[in-house]
Amino acid sequence: MNILYEGYDLTQVYHGITALSLPKFVLHKGEVLGLTGPNGSGKSTLLRLLAFLEPPASGKLLWQGGEDAPRREITLLLQEPYLLRDNVFRNVTLGLALRGKKKALYDAYTAAMRAVGFDKADDMAKRPSHALSGGEKQRVALAARLILHPTVLLLDEPTSSVDTLSARAIVHAVRETIAEGTTVVYATHDKNLQNALGGRILQIGTGISF
Amino acid sequence: MNYFSQGFSKALDLLLHMDSATVSAVQVTLGSTFSALCIALLLGLPAGFALGYCQFPGKRFLRLLSDTLLAFPTVLIGLVVYAFITRRGPLGEFGLLFTVPGMVIGQTILALPIIVSWVAQAVENLDKRCRQTLLTLGANSTQLALYTLRELRFAVAMVGVTAFGRVVTEVGIATMLGGNIRYATRTMTTAIALETSQGEFGQGIALGLVLLLIAFLLNALLVTLKWRGRA
Repeated sequence: MNILYEGYDLTQVYHGITALSLPKFVLHKGEVLGLTGPNGSGKSTLLRLLAFLEPPASGKLLWQGGEDAPRREITLLLQEPYLLRDNVFRNVTLGLALRGKKKALYDAYTAAMRAVGFDKADDMAKRPSHALSGGEKQRVALAARLILHPTVLLLDEPTSSVDTLSARAIVHAVRETIAEGTTVVYATHDKNLQNALGGRILQIGTGISF
Repeated sequence: MNYFSQGFSKALDLLLHMDSATVSAVQVTLGSTFSALCIALLLGLPAGFALGYCQFPGKRFLRLLSDTLLAFPTVLIGLVVYAFITRRGPLGEFGLLFTVPGMVIGQTILALPIIVSWVAQAVENLDKRCRQTLLTLGANSTQLALYTLRELRFAVAMVGVTAFGRVVTEVGIATMLGGNIRYATRTMTTAIALETSQGEFGQGIALGLVLLLIAFLLNALLVTLKWRGRA
C-alpha cells in the first residue's frame, strides 16, 4: 500500500505546554485509523497536524514522501463543527465553491445530503445554519466534507455530542466512504464507534499501536 | 410650561409645512454624515480588517492608538482640522473652511477610529473554528480573507450604523468647521443649539424630533442586524 503520511518525533506545544508527543506515525492509503487516549493526550492536535492546519513544533510530517501539504486532498470534521452564517446548501457546497466549481452543484449537494441521512435534501437547502440542531449541524458539516471526495477524511469525535439517530447516520456515511477507499482517521472515546468503524487503533499518549 | 406646548405646536407646524430652513438643516446633516461615513468605511474597513486579521510588528501599538482615538473629543478634531484648512493653514488654498466638505473631513476623522477599532475587534472575536473550517474545506489565503469578511458582514454593518449615529449627532465639528451658516452648513445639532440660545424652541424641537426619529430608525436597524447576525 502507498504510504500517505510519515511522521517522525512529532511534538506540538501550546503556551509552553506539550500537547502532543509522537515518536513515529505512518498511515497508508485506504487505511482506517482510530485515535484513542485520555482528554488532553493530543488526539485533536494530531488531527490538526494531519490536516496541515498547523505545523508541528518539532519533528517532521511528510505527505507521500515529502510533497507539499495537499490541503485540498484532506479535510477535517471538527468535534463541534462551524457552519457559516448561511443556508445549508451553501454550507454543504462551500468546498466546491472554493474550488471554483459551478456546475452540477445541486446534484452533488443532494448526493452528499443523502449520504448523511437527509433524504429530503430539498427541504433542508434553504434552512439557515443557526436553525439546525446539534446533530443536524454535525451531519451537514460531514456532508460538506463528503461532497469533496477527499483522499483523507479526518474526524474529531464525530458522534460525541449528537443524538443516537444522527450518530447512526454519521457512522453509516463514514462506513460508506471507507468502502469507497477513502483513508479515514478518527478520534474517539466511544467503543461503539471504534467497533463500527474498525481499523487500526493508535492510543495517543502511550505510543501503543494495536 | 406654556413655551413647551407652544414650541411643540410650532415644531409640528414647521415639519408639516416643510419649512425650508428645517429641511435644509436635515439635508445638510444627512448629506455630510453619509459622505463622511462612506469615506470612513472605504478607508477604515480594510484598515480595521488588516489590523484584526494580520500579524505584523507594531500591531499592538496601532490597536492602542486606534482605541485611544475613539475618545478624541469632537471639538479637538474640529480644532486640528480647523488649523489645517483655515486660510493660513497648509490646506487653506482649497477654501474648505465653513463648507460642507470641510465638515466632512472632520466627521470622517471622527468616524474612522470607530470603524477601524470595532472592525478589528470583530475580526479578533470571530470563532477560530471559522478559519479552520475554511482552510480544511480548501480555501486559499485570499478566499480565507474574503469569506472571513463575509462572515463578519452583520458585525461590520452594525459598526457602520453605530458610526453613523455618532456622526449625525455631533455638534463640535459641525460648529467649528461648518460655521453654522444657514442654508449652507447649518446641521440639525448646530441649529438646535443656536435656536435654543435665541429662545426659539419651535425649530429646535422640530429638529430634535427628526433626530429622535433618526435615532429610532438606527436602533431598529441595529436590532435587526443583531437578530440576523446572532447565528
